[in-house]
Amino acid sequence: MRLLRFLLIIAAFIFIGILPVHAKDMVVKEPPKSLSKYYPPESKQPKWIQQMHKMSTHFGGVFVNLKEKDFENVDMHADKLVEEYKKTSEMVPEWEDYFDIKAAEAFAAAAKTHDIAQAGKASGGLGKTCGKCHAEQEVSVWAKFHWPSFHKIKVTDPISEKEIEFDDYMGSISSSFKGVTVNFGEGQYGRAAKALKVFKSRYLELKSTCSKCHATQDVKRFYVGKDADTAFAGLSQELNSEKPNPGKFWKNIGLLGKTGCKHCHLVHRTNSFIQEMWEK
Amino acid sequence: MKRSPRIFDLIKGLGLIGVAGFAMLYFLVNERFEWIPEQVLELARDPEILKRPPAKKCSECHKAIYEAWKDSRHSISWTSENFIEASENRTKEKCLPCHIPKSVRGEKPSPRLDLRDEGIYCVSCHFIDNKMQGPYDLLAPPHPTFRNPDYVRSNICGSCHQKTFKEWEATKVEDTCQDCHMPRKKGRLTQKAGFNLLHKKRWVGDHRFLHGEIKENDVIMESGWEENFFLISLKNKTIPHFVPTADNGDPRLYLYIKFFNEAGEEVDNAKEIIAPQQETALPYNRKIQYRYRLFDKILKAEVELKYQPAWSKEKTTVRAETVSR
Repeated sequence: MRLLRFLLIIAAFIFIGILPVHAKDMVVKEPPKSLSKYYPPESKQPKWIQQMHKMSTHFGGVFVNLKEKDFENVDMHADKLVEEYKKTSEMVPEWEDYFDIKAAEAFAAAAKTHDIAQAGKASGGLGKTCGKCHAEQEVSVWAKFHWPSFHKIKVTDPISEKEIEFDDYMGSISSSFKGVTVNFGEGQYGRAAKALKVFKSRYLELKSTCSKCHATQDVKRFYVGKDADTAFAGLSQELNSEKPNPGKFWKNIGLLGKTGCKHCHLVHRTNSFIQEMWEK
Repeated sequence: MKRSPRIFDLIKGLGLIGVAGFAMLYFLVNERFEWIPEQVLELARDPEILKRPPAKKCSECHKAIYEAWKDSRHSISWTSENFIEASENRTKEKCLPCHIPKSVRGEKPSPRLDLRDEGIYCVSCHFIDNKMQGPYDLLAPPHPTFRNPDYVRSNICGSCHQKTFKEWEATKVEDTCQDCHMPRKKGRLTQKAGFNLLHKKRWVGDHRFLHGEIKENDVIMESGWEENFFLISLKNKTIPHFVPTADNGDPRLYLYIKFFNEAGEEVDNAKEIIAPQQETALPYNRKIQYRYRLFDKILKAEVELKYQPAWSKEKTTVRAETVSR
């Protein structure tokens, strides 16, 4: 029983590519153009990932049914896996060499012996073909087709009311932020208060920007939520007081940075950098 | 030539039979259509209608509703330039369920793969569980029709307009979405020659799905001065959901304030963006306060409230006033 569980886990890991494939020198290359026809807008559905799911399901189906001794379904999933594997191998000509039809057929034949140990052993050969492609291409495919592109997002600047590119908008937020901090550092509290109005307006506009992709309120509140409200209220209070307290001012600046800017940058910037290389 | 009395009587008799026949048919169609045997109705069925046809097919009978729908935002939910731009060439998954819904039935729909250019069309809302449904049980020979009370309730609109539906629910106002956005008029459901006479007039909702204009009386504005501050408040007095409202669109009210000194020079300004995506929209019947610190000696403020719908970059003035100190 333990052996069975072990084999199942190893097989699953190999197949879905989680088992580390030694690729420390991985290069993130833009996926081939031919893959675009399997993703929107060229395709109505994300056919490529659906195809991955089909193969994964049939592969998993073999082992689930071997465990349950439902051999009729073992055979069905084995045949379907080979069928889908062959189909996938023809979808992106540039990636044809990743596929090894003989390995897929060998796995199906092993599965049809209904001996789980044999199936587990044969899955290694097939899993390697998947793992190699995943190691070399998965990051690129996700970056290109699964992550929405920041560089296509347009933001209406609340100050000028002009629609500008996302990157330029980030620049304008940064400038208005400096208007607050630089003036405060110089003791120009009136100017800092005026700059805060501009910065706050631009910062809160990000809620609209987040909602261009995120459908739930909770996600955008994670970036621009209660902490931001608290920080802006605190900053405003200090700048509207007769003698602003630097300790409280900088604490609120820190709160904004840690809970808003940093959260978003940690999640989104890496992918944005990759996309930028391909799109600009 | 003198007409023979017999011929005259025959014509009169035929006329009477015709009128009586029509009256009976009218009664049967409108009041007792269940008496008509299913086998007879089967002869009049149009199987194409039960295969999720494009809206044009429905217009063969429901011309008036079709024309109204053509004028609606629903009909261009997939084809409007604004949507194509905002959805990054229709690639954003979150947009698909409600811009090309398969079946609208009180919960977030699934997107469909066919006839996407039709947007939110007849079949999306009326062809549910492989049955044509609507607010009435009635005889429609080309397709069986079933009454579903949801068509006069807000929850069907809430399938997609979920946020707005929740806002409306919280107000406890009885008027439904349809009361304001699909106002009813007595009319005929079909315009097809012959059938239009056989069907009695019923209350028919406006399928343009009217988008309420925000009028001056909808938003109450109050303002005043404190020593170093200008205060202003806005209250959505009449619209039983937030104003503006949207689940994913970005309609906005802009509140512009210009401050003038004694010399009549504009020395400062302020702006509020009142928008659902920024969680700053005006709730129903609750006053929202804004407070501005004045850095100069201010004598006058000019205030203007403008509205920009989600699908346009144009703004229209809702109200404007000058507040002197």
